[in-house]
Amino acid sequence: MLVEAFVLPKADLGSFVEKLKAGYEVIGPVANDPEFVFAPIDSAADLRLDYDTTILPPHKKYLAPPKETLMTFSGPATKTGEPAPAGKQVLFGMHACDVNGMLSLDKVFLGTYPDPYYKARRENTAIVGLNCTEPCANGFCSSFNTGPGMDTGFDLSLTDIGDKYVVCVGSETGKALAAGLAPAADADRIAKSKALRASQEKIERHIDIDNLGEFMHQNVDNPVWAELKERCLACGSCTNVCPTCFCFAVKDQVDLTLVAGERPRDWDSCQYLEFSRVAMDHIFRPDRAARIKQRLYHKLTYFAQQFDGSPGCVGCGRCATYCIVAIDPVEVMADLRDNPGEEKAVKLYTPPDKKVTPETSPWEPLPAKITAIKQQNYDNKTYTFSFVDPAVQEKYTYGNGVFNEISVFGIGEVPISISSCADVKGAFDHTIRAVGNVTKALDKLQVGDIVGVRGPYGVGWPVEKMKGKNVLVVVGGVGLAPLLGTIKYIANHRDQFGTLEILYGARSPKDMLFTDEFEDLRKIPNTRLLLCVDDCLGMEWGHNIGVVTTLFDKMSSKPDNSIMITCGPDIMMRFAVKGMLALGWSPEQIYVSLERRMSCGIKKCGNCQIGPIFVCQDGPVFKLADIQGLPEAAL
Amino acid sequence: MANPKVAFFKFSSCAGCLLNVINIEPVLLTVLSVIDIEYFVMAKRDNHHGPYTIGFVEGAVTTPKEVLELKKIREECAIVVAMGTCAVTGGVPSIKNFSGMNQDQLTKTVYAENIYDPFLASIPAKGIDHYVKVDAYLRGCSYDLGEFVELIKRALKGEDPMFRPHSVCNECKLKENVCLLVSKGQPCMGSVSAAGCGALCPSLNRQCEGCRGPANDCNAASLAKTFMEDLGLSKDDVVRKFRKYAGNTPEFSKGAEAAL
Repeated sequence: MLVEAFVLPKADLGSFVEKLKAGYEVIGPVANDPEFVFAPIDSAADLRLDYDTTILPPHKKYLAPPKETLMTFSGPATKTGEPAPAGKQVLFGMHACDVNGMLSLDKVFLGTYPDPYYKARRENTAIVGLNCTEPCANGFCSSFNTGPGMDTGFDLSLTDIGDKYVVCVGSETGKALAAGLAPAADADRIAKSKALRASQEKIERHIDIDNLGEFMHQNVDNPVWAELKERCLACGSCTNVCPTCFCFAVKDQVDLTLVAGERPRDWDSCQYLEFSRVAMDHIFRPDRAARIKQRLYHKLTYFAQQFDGSPGCVGCGRCATYCIVAIDPVEVMADLRDNPGEEKAVKLYTPPDKKVTPETSPWEPLPAKITAIKQQNYDNKTYTFSFVDPAVQEKYTYGNGVFNEISVFGIGEVPISISSCADVKGAFDHTIRAVGNVTKALDKLQVGDIVGVRGPYGVGWPVEKMKGKNVLVVVGGVGLAPLLGTIKYIANHRDQFGTLEILYGARSPKDMLFTDEFEDLRKIPNTRLLLCVDDCLGMEWGHNIGVVTTLFDKMSSKPDNSIMITCGPDIMMRFAVKGMLALGWSPEQIYVSLERRMSCGIKKCGNCQIGPIFVCQDGPVFKLADIQGLPEAAL
Repeated sequence: MANPKVAFFKFSSCAGCLLNVINIEPVLLTVLSVIDIEYFVMAKRDNHHGPYTIGFVEGAVTTPKEVLELKKIREECAIVVAMGTCAVTGGVPSIKNFSGMNQDQLTKTVYAENIYDPFLASIPAKGIDHYVKVDAYLRGCSYDLGEFVELIKRALKGEDPMFRPHSVCNECKLKENVCLLVSKGQPCMGSVSAAGCGALCPSLNRQCEGCRGPANDCNAASLAKTFMEDLGLSKDDVVRKFRKYAGNTPEFSKGAEAAL
């Protein structure tokens, strides 16, 4: 179908903008000498439609701003922040790269668990695009078909053909905005096509996208990364200016009453060392080379794997423009293509296909009361919670091995797996070690105190697949918490499962959890519980000494018709998995939990990514076969 | 419940960080309603001895006497905060550590001839965590008042403030400042320096001098190379840049060493 098109003489631009201003706040490119930024304009005279690029991408600045309040609170009573803005805005003069960048961000913020703040702005924002008839210095948009002209994502698009613009209509809103303009003649349409073709031919920078995903996977160990590490300043500018980077950090702020405050999100960057930090100062991606790799892999292949094939790089060239040490994806890719790694078969990751659209804001924790607290050992407690609203509690169900986000308002939020069994109704348990700011604050709470809870989230243990099979549970330390519910589920539905064998190792007897329930576990029919500790600390100990893999000699589980599920410290799981594979178990029958890395829980903040995986929504429980051979080691 | 007792101490420094405390006027009275300032010689006539809940310490440690005083402060304060760059990294006083002169030569260079005063007996200037355990840091020359108030709030809540140690570029980009280095060729140190100041200097069109010390995992050696090869700075200029505020830190040492 012929795209509806009009013409706007350049002399009429002023009156066209004035008409827009009647219904919208007009935001367009203005000078910030010698660069350009998007900002609200008073009149068309402010517009610099000759701009090459802007420091921040306009859609990111105005749809997912650097700082956004998710909610405000006063003590345990909460209310959510208002989804701003009330007014309508038009982003005037967006280039094709940014329009496509916005379409990619739409996948992040409007996909599973739609973000109400982004959504409200997106719906209130009209896009008047500006096709590039003159390529910018660092752009390489034609490589990804994200420029110089735009095919979709706009309400109107303008193309400069000399003394006038050809105005193409991309939506009903756009059609209304174009009311009163004269229709484009065939000659105008031809002039537009010619101008864009000429522009495309002038683009000299390209990334070879042939087999790009596989190629990247084959170049994980390329020496190029070590060279980049020597240059990269770790300043994070590349992510701030990127039109598709979306990661953010959430940290509560309180006023001097110490109880009232707000929960904002701020843009974060995977280039920062502390981005992957969790409690006890563990940092998952300490190597700068790994962080550089994570960014470029995310741009060039992971993003498409995670979000329905949408481009993670739209070739705007900003990261190259603003990099002090001139790290440029075009050059990096050319270097890799010149000295490629060995070609080998590569399996690209496919996330589970699901879209959750809750009725309420996914950021809003609901008040839950602590109804019981049980000291498990010297630094772990089991808290029993019930939602304050009985109707919420009534409707609340969860799978075994999934997690909730627990809020202590004024301190923050932590993802913690549920330690009670999915069969339990009316309440749910979390077993928590006091190690970080939030968990230490939880440690001070009493029965009757209120916290915020949202959830449940994630993919838990494959209970349905385990039915009819023998189950081997390999656990380290506090890893028993996310597994106990499943063990109890097997006990409750004993005839649906084969043998149950639990290998539980901890640093010492006093580090073990749920010790008073061991007798009950042993009483489950057709079940064995084998224990070991690294060091018995001189305490009386009638069981094995050594790491959990030393129990492999004593276990009776065999690979046939069995499933192994494991949770514990990374190093323990790594060795346990290695040991099981050596014993002939297959990656198809081993399930691991990677829950330590999570943050927001709803595939938004980006903190939990390991290579192409979002631990919080694709997991935290993964089949080993699905996460083997990723460019970034998951275990 | 009584308010926590707070004390302010000073070692070798300009006293600007202590003076800065009084600049929190908009929230000063509110802050004073949640803490009791027990010891603050610059601002109060009546000062009381410890123990204190929070001790804010300004200044680098440059004499053996100061080491003893600092250890006493550590014993008297539940929370010790290094306040300002001198207390955090040694700051401007630490420039002398790299003079290549011994104490005798330094004394003769700085002071009139034939002066001997035990007061002048000095040791290399260090941040206070060279001698005692420090619980929290307020970086900057001077520190950011927002962070000061934030730290008080977090301390009262018994929390680690966890100030983000990422680069100044972050805050600068979010303000859409024109990059002084990329666009104007100025030797701005923001890319390797810790943020928290709101990119104060670059926002006023002045290069970052790195007063807050190194950002997390910064690559000072690479920036030093850029300063020399792309911007044409002399070796001495680059060394001076990396030793102005935080020459004692391993991160900025690498910047200076890359130039040498």
